[in-house]
This record gives sequence, C-alpha cells and structure tokens, in this order.
Amino acid sequence: MMPIDEPATESAATAPSMPQTLKVEKTVGLSAIGFCVTQGDAATTLFAGMSDFAIHRIDLAAEKIEAVPISQERHNSYVMGLVRAGDKLISGGYDGALIWWNMASGEVVRRVESAHSKWVRMLAVSPDASRVASVADDMTTRLWDAASGDLVATWGDYETKTPHGFPSMLYAVTISPDGRWVATGDKTGIVLVRDLATGEIAARLETPVMYTWDPKARRHSIGGIRSLAFSNDSAMLAVGGMGKVGNIDHLEGSSRVEVFRWQDNVRLYEIEDNKLKGLVEALQFGPGDAWLAAAGGDNSGFVTIYRMDDGKLAAQEKVGNHVHDFVFGDAPDTLYVVGHNQAAIVKLG
Amino acid sequence: MASKINGCRPEEHGLSRRGFLTATAAGVTASFAADMGAIHGLRSAAMASELKKQNKRVILLWLAGGASQFETWDPKPGAKTGGPFRAIPTNVTGIHISELLPELAQRMQHTAIIRSLNTKIADHGTGADLMECGRVADPGVKYPDIGAVVARELGRLESKVPDYVSLYTSTEGRRKGTSGFLGARYAPMFLSESMTPPNIVRPDIISEIDHQDRAALRDVLAKRFTASRRNQAVDSHASAYQRVHGLMASADLFDIEREPESVRNRYGSSQFAQQCLIARRLVEADVPFVKVARAWWDSHGQNFETHQELCADLDHSMSVLLDDLAERGLLEHTLVITLGEFGRTPNINASLGRDHFASAWSCSLSGAGIRGGVAYGKTDDEGHRVVEGEASAGDLFATILAALGIDHQHEYMLGSRPIPLADFGTNPIREVLA
Repeated sequence: MMPIDEPATESAATAPSMPQTLKVEKTVGLSAIGFCVTQGDAATTLFAGMSDFAIHRIDLAAEKIEAVPISQERHNSYVMGLVRAGDKLISGGYDGALIWWNMASGEVVRRVESAHSKWVRMLAVSPDASRVASVADDMTTRLWDAASGDLVATWGDYETKTPHGFPSMLYAVTISPDGRWVATGDKTGIVLVRDLATGEIAARLETPVMYTWDPKARRHSIGGIRSLAFSNDSAMLAVGGMGKVGNIDHLEGSSRVEVFRWQDNVRLYEIEDNKLKGLVEALQFGPGDAWLAAAGGDNSGFVTIYRMDDGKLAAQEKVGNHVHDFVFGDAPDTLYVVGHNQAAIVKLG
Repeated sequence: MASKINGCRPEEHGLSRRGFLTATAAGVTASFAADMGAIHGLRSAAMASELKKQNKRVILLWLAGGASQFETWDPKPGAKTGGPFRAIPTNVTGIHISELLPELAQRMQHTAIIRSLNTKIADHGTGADLMECGRVADPGVKYPDIGAVVARELGRLESKVPDYVSLYTSTEGRRKGTSGFLGARYAPMFLSESMTPPNIVRPDIISEIDHQDRAALRDVLAKRFTASRRNQAVDSHASAYQRVHGLMASADLFDIEREPESVRNRYGSSQFAQQCLIARRLVEADVPFVKVARAWWDSHGQNFETHQELCADLDHSMSVLLDDLAERGLLEHTLVITLGEFGRTPNINASLGRDHFASAWSCSLSGAGIRGGVAYGKTDDEGHRVVEGEASAGDLFATILAALGIDHQHEYMLGSRPIPLADFGTNPIREVLA
C-alpha cells in the first residue's frame, strides 16, 4: 500500500539516519477500517480510504482528531487504494471503480465505474503525478492518465488461477522513484517489474514462501504479496507478505520481507520475524536507503525498521490493531498509520 | 447398546451374528449386518414401501468449519458488518445473493434459502452434532445423524449399494457420521483417505471364478442351514453377504474415469467437484444418502480471501451438480443440502476474519420436495439477529424429512421409549416445501 506521493529524498535532511526507537505518540479510534492513506497539502492532513466505502479527511492538528468523510459520495465497496496526484485524490475499491476527487472540496471529478472487472486492490502514482497504476483481481495492471482519466495501457501476464485451481489475486503495485518502473505482486508470490513507458517486463522475481497452500487439512490457501517498495535509487525492491503458515485459519505466519537487487534478480535479504507476526501490508525505504520501514500484523499491528546494510531489525513497536498502510510525514521521523478501526502517529527516534 | 434398548426377540439370540460375521467376513460385512431390524418403527409396511418407491435421495454438501452467511446466502452490502462483496440479483426476482456465487444465482429456481437459522451452539464439535442430528446430544441416547435416518427410511433391504456414503478427505474437522441407536447397519461407508472405498476390490490372489464359486458354495450351505432355522438373524446374515457382493460390484461407482470426458471436464479438477460427480453417480445408482464434506471454512483470519476461494469451488461444483441432476431427471428425486455447523459473526475482526456464530445464519435446500426460488426468513440489517421466521436445527431436520416425504413425527421405539425422527416440538418450514 505504498503510493509514493512525493519523492522521499526531499525530506531526507530531517530524518534519523538510523532509527533506534519507535514510539506510538497517539492513537485515534476510527469508525471503520482504514485500508490506505495519503498525505494532503498540509503536513497534518491525511486522507484515508476506508471500509465504509468513503474517503475520510483526518486533521491531525485538530483538538479532537477524527476521520470525516470528504463527500456524501462513496465507492460501492471497501476503498483499497488511494493516491494523490496534484490537487486530486484518486481512489480504487472492491467495486472495480476508480474515482477522482477534488482534494480540497471533496467533489467527485471523475468516476470510472468499470475500471476493472474485479476487485481493485491497490493504486500507485508516478513521481511526476502524471500516471496512476491500478491492480485488481482480474489479474491486470492498468495504467491511467492521472489528469484525463484515460486508460493508457492494460497489462496481463499473470495466471488468473493459483496452481491449485482457485481464483488468484493481484494485491500490490508500486512505481519507482525515478518513474521508470512499475512493480506488481500476486497471491502466489510472483513479482513482475515492467518498463512504465512500454509495459515490457524487465524482471520476474519469485517469493514462493509468501504463498501457503494447505493440501490436506483445509484445502485452501493464505498469503500473497501484500506490499512492494522501490528504494529511493530505484535499484532495490522490497516485497512484503507472510511466511509459511501452519494453521491457515489465522494470520499466524511470520511477518516476512524479501529485498532484491531486482535488475540482477539477486535476493539481498530474506527477513522473517516470529515475534510480531502476520502480513506485511506496507513498506517504504528511509532516506538514503539506509533502512526500510514495514508495517502490518495479525490481529495486532506492528511497525518495524530494518537496517539495509545487514537486513537486521533496528527497531520495532506494537501499534494496537492490524495496520494496513502508512505514510511518512513531511519529515520521515514520523509515520502516520491506518488500520483496523484506528489511526496512529508513530515517532522514529 | 441399541440391542439392549430394543428388546430383541429371544430367537434372535440363537445365532451370534456379530461373532459369526466377524469371523467370516470383512468388517464392512459386520457393519451392514449388525443390529438389522433391531429398531422398531411405528409405521405400516405399506407406507414404508410407498415411501421407498418414490426413490428420494439426498446429497448433503457439508460446508465444514462454518461458511459465512454474508458471503453466501444472506449478503448485507453497505452494512458495517457486510464486508466488501456486493449482492447480485438471481434469476428469481427479488432474491439477491453474494456476488461470490454467480453461477448459483442463475439456478435459484431450484433452491430455497433459509436465512433464519438460530441454532445457538457456536462450537465446532457440538455444533456439528446438533446440525447433523437435529437435536442436542443426550448422554443417555446416541442419536443417529440425518444420513443414517435417511438410510433407514429410504434404503432398501435388498439393495446392493450402500445406503449412506460419506466423503470427508480433508483432515480438519473430519467427522465420520453416526448411526447412533439405529446401529451399524446404517453407519456410513466412510471415505477419508481417497475417493474410492478401501477393501471392496477383490484381491488379486482370488480369481473371479473362485470368487463366484465361493459365493455359490456359501449360498448352497446357507440355504441348507436356513431351511430349518429361518429367523430374522439368519436372514440378516444372508442379506449382509449379498450387500457385500453388491458393494464389491459397486466399486465402479466411485470411479469417475468411467464418466465421459465431457462430463469430467464439466465438473472440473477440484476435489470437491469430483466428489460431487461421485455423489451424482451414487444417487443415480440409488444410494439414498451421500455426504460430501468441503472443508475448511473456519475463516478467523482473511475471511474474504478464504471465501473468494471456497465460494468459487462451491459455486461451480454445486451448479454443475444441479444441472447434471436436472438433465438426468434426478433432481426432482434428489434433495441437495448445503449446510455447516454454524455461520460466521457479523463483526469483522482485526485479521479481517469472521468468527463462529450460530444466532442468525443460513443454509440452502434444492431439488426434491423443495419449492425453488424462495428466500425464507430474515435477519436484521446488520445480521446480528433473526427477525423473521426463526428456525432451529430441529426445524431444519423436520423440513428435510418432510421434503423427502418422511413423517418427521414418526417414532422409533428404543424399548418402550419413543424417539421421534425430528425432535419434540419441531416443525417443518412449510414455506420452503413444494
């Protein structure tokens, strides 16, 4: 869930070079599940896509912090992807629709009802805010002109079914900070990196541990790639999900991150955390690519910082309920997270 | 236990059936012979005969672990509890079901949905006991499950095929089924490790000629024996042998390779679909009751992903099954039930899961004896409570029996104790009956 709304290097000067601590500064209850978040014009304004089908504005400077729908208009299902392109917000939902919103007024600017034939899982925006990529369970990646809403390209190349014959899911998408590459990840652990301009596949990476098929006890699956992030120099690609699961009734697998030098198809790190388990739902590299922030959880949520010189854990903190997404503040010494009926401010020290 | 309760007649003890069968035949033989005729029903032979002539059959699709009513039969789109999936119209005006069941939505003319089950028990084991037997367990009585009751009521003594077949190949929540006080005669043929029954294929060391010769010799000896000792126990023993021979001959029923490729392709490659095809072959061969368990729906985490997978399997497999039965003229004689031990909570937990919930959930009945195109009962706007047409497990049990033409108030006598087929005070849901 990592729309890269602003080049991360812009605020590198104020970020800790290597966070040693994480602290939940404030937690705010939400009336619904927050699935995705992006930052507004003001440093203290967030927008979140939620399970009540609406986009909410969260004013962190307000005396009483609350999430308020920006409009009476809504999606017809959960809002799973939200990015900012200039003065517009663009959202995607399980209803298969994309909606362009005026960020200031909340007015709907454009509605593409059948952007995908199945559930939209995530959006990403290019650094120059000219292109928006969407992924959905129709197993296509679609590229949109962020200004006009025109469909620019549709890319397939994923199997529509898992190796065990069930519908597959295309969960994650991100665009590189240099604007050249778009990466996507599916349920079975396949990452495709494409040239954003041509759609040509530049790399195919595999993270099969992130997909668990239970052939005997329960005969279905769990897992999948839930998050992707390019490093600031666009050379590394981090992939988030969950390790192998014993009892797939629950999110009891280790939280798992794999980091690739993707153009060489070299896996730099395989990181599994058994202490705070569950899905890694969001990833973002810190300034200078010295560290990687990861967030997610099982019933409970977590934020973790991994060092990128050795792949080891640098700092970790529980964050109430399961976290679905986060965004850096103006300075990446602050994370704004949204998740299951909550939002939180997490400080890096 | 049943024989103690039922007061067998003295002459039945003239021959030790159990001992004889154990010594002379495979275990499966014993299971069909033991306790035969031990339960006495208060119904005329003519009525029973008429019932059997109607040739009703049942396929129970057991959704083990508990499927979500929100993601199947009782969607609540837009409600806080509703989840992300939409409700779609069906081919019956006014009835909407989850978008995860698009194929079944086009076959609603065959199906009645019951949206108002309040069965109260939200524990896997006791919930399954309740839904399978239609009543709360009683420490003093081992009740038979629905399969055994149907086997008893619709099976034919002279039948050469099993009366009750249960397929449960996943290991989680695996349950064999129970014939309770009806005795081993009505116990299921249970397939857990493969889709074909073990130990019913003639061993290679016995040739087909030897096999036939042995049967002929046994017949001669048996006739001589029974000429002067005719009684129920001896008849039962002879019948058991006939059934074992029938079972050996019925091994082909479990072999879907005997179906045309087009039929196999239509069902597809999932194990559940293939077991549905076996079920169709079995009911076509007059097996009265077939249970196909599809585990495991216990989606405490990732409920929506789990239902995207399992509903796709259910939607396709059940749709093909209904079509196939209808095209063969079998659906009007075959009741297809989808049921689990309970439903799932309205509340969506922090793992995007739903937990156990038995206060307001759904099942479906299709085919024989059912008024298709009906959605019976109603839950509140968020699915927390039943607000119309509340039905218990016993009511559902009575409804199933009524759809099959079986009097749910008919009583078995355990000694002097009457046990009605459906629990005391329960009633069929007339609105879903044809």
